Parts: sequence; C-alpha cells; structure tokens
Amino acid sequence: MTKSRKPGISRRSALALMGGTAVTFATPWVAGAQAKTIKVGMPTILSGRVAQLGTSSRNGIMIEVDKVNAAGGLAGRPIEMVIRDSKGQPQEAARVARELVNTDGCEILIDAEASSGAFAVHEVARDLGVFCVHTNSETSSLTADPKQHIPNAFRTARQGVHDSIVGGGYAAAIAKAKGLKKWATCSPDYAYGRDTTGEFVYYLKQFAPDVEIISEAWPKLFQPDYTEVVTKILQAKPQALYSALWGGDLTSYIDQANIYALFTQMEVFAVNMADYTALTVVKNLPKGIHSGNRYIKTYPATAENAAWGDAYKAKFNEYPTNWSWENATAMMLIAAASKKANSADGKKLAEAMKGLTIKSPFGADGTVTMRAEDHTLIGYAIGWGTTIPVEPYVPEVKSGDWKQILALEAEWKKTKGYT
Amino acid sequence: MTELQAERGGDLSAPPIDVKSKRLRYIDLLIAIAAFAVLASLPFLFSSKALLDFVIRCAAFGLFATSLNLLVGYTGMISFGHGMFFGLGAYGFGLIMQRTGVPVPVAFLGTLVLTAVVATAIGAICVRLKEIYFAFVTLAFQMLIHSIILSWVSLTGGDQGLRGGIPRPKFLGIDPTNHIHLYIMSCALLVIGLLLMRQIAQSPFGYTLRMIRDNASRASFIGIDVWRAKLTIFVLSSLFASTGGIIMCLFVSGAYPEFAYWTISGEGIFINLLGGVTTFLGPMVGTVLLLTLNDTVTRLTEHYGIVLGIVILFFAIGLRKGLMDFAVEWYEARRGDKERAP
Repeated sequence: MTKSRKPGISRRSALALMGGTAVTFATPWVAGAQAKTIKVGMPTILSGRVAQLGTSSRNGIMIEVDKVNAAGGLAGRPIEMVIRDSKGQPQEAARVARELVNTDGCEILIDAEASSGAFAVHEVARDLGVFCVHTNSETSSLTADPKQHIPNAFRTARQGVHDSIVGGGYAAAIAKAKGLKKWATCSPDYAYGRDTTGEFVYYLKQFAPDVEIISEAWPKLFQPDYTEVVTKILQAKPQALYSALWGGDLTSYIDQANIYALFTQMEVFAVNMADYTALTVVKNLPKGIHSGNRYIKTYPATAENAAWGDAYKAKFNEYPTNWSWENATAMMLIAAASKKANSADGKKLAEAMKGLTIKSPFGADGTVTMRAEDHTLIGYAIGWGTTIPVEPYVPEVKSGDWKQILALEAEWKKTKGYT
Repeated sequence: MTELQAERGGDLSAPPIDVKSKRLRYIDLLIAIAAFAVLASLPFLFSSKALLDFVIRCAAFGLFATSLNLLVGYTGMISFGHGMFFGLGAYGFGLIMQRTGVPVPVAFLGTLVLTAVVATAIGAICVRLKEIYFAFVTLAFQMLIHSIILSWVSLTGGDQGLRGGIPRPKFLGIDPTNHIHLYIMSCALLVIGLLLMRQIAQSPFGYTLRMIRDNASRASFIGIDVWRAKLTIFVLSSLFASTGGIIMCLFVSGAYPEFAYWTISGEGIFINLLGGVTTFLGPMVGTVLLLTLNDTVTRLTEHYGIVLGIVILFFAIGLRKGLMDFAVEWYEARRGDKERAP
C-alpha cells in the first residue's frame, strides 16, 4: 500500500506553525536590556483620520531629540524614542503607555494623544508614577482641575481657555469697530467644539455686551457634507460667524461655503485657520478670515522661529503643525530640566521642571514657562490676525496680552470651582 | 425529555443524558480550576508585567466575545450592538465608584443590575426582530447609548470620558490598585464567567437556544416561548459583556465613550470570526489571537489596518471558518482517517 499525502496540514508544518506562534507570543514579553540610553515612550495616533497629529508630533519632537543627542543626551544619556500607534482608542493608549514603561523600559512618557486618550494616559502616569508630559491635549481641565493633578505629569500644549480669552477680546474689538451685533456659531459637535465655542462666546460678551448669538450649527466631527450647515447660517443672516472647526473639517467647510459666497457676506472668525494644515489645503483661501495662530513661522516674527520652521520644512518637506511646536517644546523643557537637575531621573526632572522658564522660538517674548502651580505651559505666542491667500498667509498677528490672559484665567478657574 | 420540559426546568428524569451531562459538568469544573491555577501561577513564573496586562485585557475582551457568541453562535442572533453592554459595564461601575464610594462588590452587583434592567428594556424591543433587522436595531440602540454618553456631559464627562481616575478601594483583602491582585481578580472573573456561560450553553436551555437557531418555527410549534427564551439569553449575555466592561474600567481606571462605540461590537464580531462560533472556546481563542496580533503588529508597524485586513481575508476566503472550527474539523478528519484505515 502506498502512503499518500493526507489533506490538510502535515505534522511537520503544524509543529513549525506552533513554534512560529510561540515566538510571536514571546517576543513582546522579553524585556529589552537596560542600557545607558534613556528610552522615551510616546503613544500617539499614527493611523486613521487624524494620523497627521501623530506624524507631525513625531517630526516635531525628533528635531529636538536629534539636537539633544548631538549635545550629549540627557545628563549624558542619549535618548531613544519609542513611538507607537494607539489608533485613537483610549484603552489602546493606556495599554501602549503601560507597555512602553513596563516592557520597553521607557523612563519618560510623552503623551501625544488627543482628547480622551490623554486622560487615559494620565491615569497610567498616576498608577505607575512615571514622568509624563502631555503634548497635544488642549482640554483645560486636564491641568486646571485639581482632581487631575499629579506631581509627575505636565502639559506643554496650549490651553482652550487661553485661546478663548484672546479670541474673545480680539473679536470684541472688531465687533465694536464694525458694529457686528448678530453672531452665528458653527463648531464640531464634541467636547472640544462645544467648550471652546462656549468660552469664546462668554468672553466675547464680556468684552462686547451687546453681541447676540442668533444661530448655532453643530456639524458632526468628520462630517463630509456641510451644505445644510452653510445654508442654515446664510438664512439666519448674521453679521459675523465663529467656528472652531479644524483640520480637514475646516478646509472642506470653507471649500463648500465658498460656493455660496459665504465669506463675502459676513466676518468669519475661525480659531483654527492659521495652521499650515488648513492654510495650504483650502482651494481658494478667502481673504480676511480672522484666525488664532496655531503654528506659523512668521509669528512670532523672530529669526529663531523662522529658522525652526524652515529647518522642519527642509527635513520633512512639509510645514510644522500646532502639534509640532507643542511636542518640540516638551523636549526642550525636558532637556533644560535635565540640565538643571543634572540628572535624567523622572522625579528629579519633575522637580526641576516646575516653574522652569526656557528660551523658546515659540514664546510670546522669546521664552515659555512651565507654571509651577498647575504644571501647564504659559507665555507661548498667542494672537489673532487675518488671512491672505498666499504666503505668509497671516501677515499681521495681533498678540494677546499674557497679563490679561492670566488674570481672566484665574477668574475662570474660580467660577469652575478649581481654586 | 423534550426541549419544552427541559426549558421549564421539568422534573422528568432522563437518566442516561443526565449522568453524562453531570459528568461533563464535573469535567468543566475541573478544567476551570486547572485553568485558573495555571493563570494564577503565571506572575510567579514570569516577571513580565506586560504579560499580566495582556491576560487582564484577554479577560475583558474574552468575556465580552464569548457572551456575544451565546447570541451569535448558539441562538443565531447576530447582534451588532453588543458593545453597548461593555460600555454600560464600564460606565456603570465607574460612575458608581466615583459618585457613591461603595465597596467594589456592591458596585459590581449594582452595575450588573443596571445592565440587566437596560438589557431587558432594549431586548424586549429587539428580539422580536429577525436577522438583519435585529442586527440593525441593536446597532441603533448602541448608537443611542453612545450618543447619550457623549451628550450627558455633566454625568459622563462627554467625549473626554470619566476623568480623575476610578477609586479602587480594598475589599476582602483584595487591593485592585495592586497589579497582581487586579490580575488574579480578572482571571477569577474570567474563569467563573466562562464556567457559567458553559453551564448555560450545555443546559437544556442552551439546547433550546440551538433549536431556536436552527428552526425557530419548529421550536415555537412544540410550545417553546421563543421570545422569552431569546430575551433571557439576550439579558444573560449582556451581564457577561458588562463584566468584561468592568474589568476594562478597572484596568484603565476610567471609562471612555469608545467603549460603547460600534467599533467595540465590530471587534467582538471579528473575534468570533477569528476564533470560530461552533465551539465554546472559539471566541476565547479568537480574543487571544486578535490581541496578540494587535500588540505584535502595533510594535512593528503603524500600518496595522492593512495587516488586519489581510488576516481577515485569510480567514474569510482561505479558511472560511474560525481557527477553532478549523482545528476541530481537522482533528476529526484525521481521526476519521485513522479509524477508516485498514
């Protein structure tokens, strides 16, 4: 009787398959050997609709990491970045953050997550006690709410309430000058959109009490078609429009609103317009949209800022985003703190980082400060201006006054019951 | 013994089946104890914290996926909205712990009661429907719950989730903030959950469900209240999904709207596809497979989607069944070959 090959998998290949599976299983759990290098873990979003958040955060921080390593590293220890995708899911962000610390041996976490992911990583930092810098979450409560406060976490991103104060003041001045009383709003329907719009309107009315909101539109996040939103606003006939749309949503909104010539019929205030991700993507950028600065290499108008923007462009063949400077700032502060403490130890870094002021291309006066009381960044460049369709896109930016910002922020904290 | 009598907990004794099923239950219990012993010994054999994290997540998703299989595999009800109970578990538990500060077991039971109430209300509407209509109405309810979580900001924190950490006080000598305690607790919940679900699947009621899956009209003709049986399993399975959510809530010390989003349901369906729906442990195998795949691929590349897509294609077009289905068939085919051999 001849032996025939049986259908299905042979024993040998089955064994090979099992072996392969075992290796796949085991690899993640074999911890890397502790070397002289210091590993910095960075969970972020590298896939899906907001992948640009992750890629431009990575680019922003890598520019600074290269500089630090060229200068000898953190207290003599070269930095090795371990950057991993969380796919924008908070439970993945938490898992990745834990894995980075527990398995990969990262001693510092750069939390480049957005929104809920940042809060998930914050809990990991609370549990593990690892030194952590939030770089992308602008939600004010992350640092303002004392319940959130932990000694080992800091934030180097801008803050929603700062933007609203400056935006409200700027818009109120124009409203008074041009007699804009009837306002409409159009912002994405989620916490960031609702909160920033609410705060903007609050400060607008503080500075210009006779302003009235006659129409509100809340398109869904990532909505592809804005026709009904645009027509709703046009029918309400406001004199001015505020929008907290951002990124792809903002550009498709502008492209679609252009068809209805919306921008010739009212003054438009779009807080997230002055970012290269939006400025360079819009087909016909209307002249005269008012916008807050996100990142733009001409504001602050210093040689350092222009050089930083150009170096980034030369390296990655695109302009930096708002996320880029926020992440770069994190690394600049860590490097300065490590120099001050002469150590790369997380606890010493956290202690040195409190209240630390460093020179920065992104500072309103050439410096930024990590405020000691609530571990958040202040003194960064913040202002509003109007757009033109060609570079430099926003030729003149009116700077916000940090004294006023801080005073109003303190008041806001009181009304929220944070202080 | 007919299904009807079986379902009503009939007291007719049918010795041959009973003895066999009793023995099976005995074996199930032994396997469960052995599995728990193995899992509980892991922290003492390996020092890797990531391994413990992995098992905790397997417990959360494994309970969720296996409970979904009670609906999909055993009853033929393909729910696209099962993730709502995962989210409900996480939010229910997180909110009770944050707002009231009761001990963990009380919050656990409270969450299960809450889930049961919500599942009864939603199930009463959904289980009347069949196939794609059932699938879509469950999806609609899931999106409703997701929207409520997003818009009820004062209670749920909106899209930022439950912030500030979930208080995890000690109870009965267990400290959930301790990694190993949390690990052992998750393993215990997983093993007990699986054992209970196995009991449901192997009980006369479980066989009633299979009958409804194969031919609901016939089940109805012999006097089974199909609606009640479907509703019962809908509520029961929601409890296990909710337990999965509670484990996840303890693990991340928070609850986020993504837990109640349709993608979680999709992941559950996908786990079932991977592992197979014809065996009880299929979804558990699928969970281990998906999480391993996820963790490994995420480490190596950011093009996670394309790898996952290829794996789905392999299972859907290549194997045309889940891994456990394939393994069982292969094993039986081999044994059949041997028996036939001269």
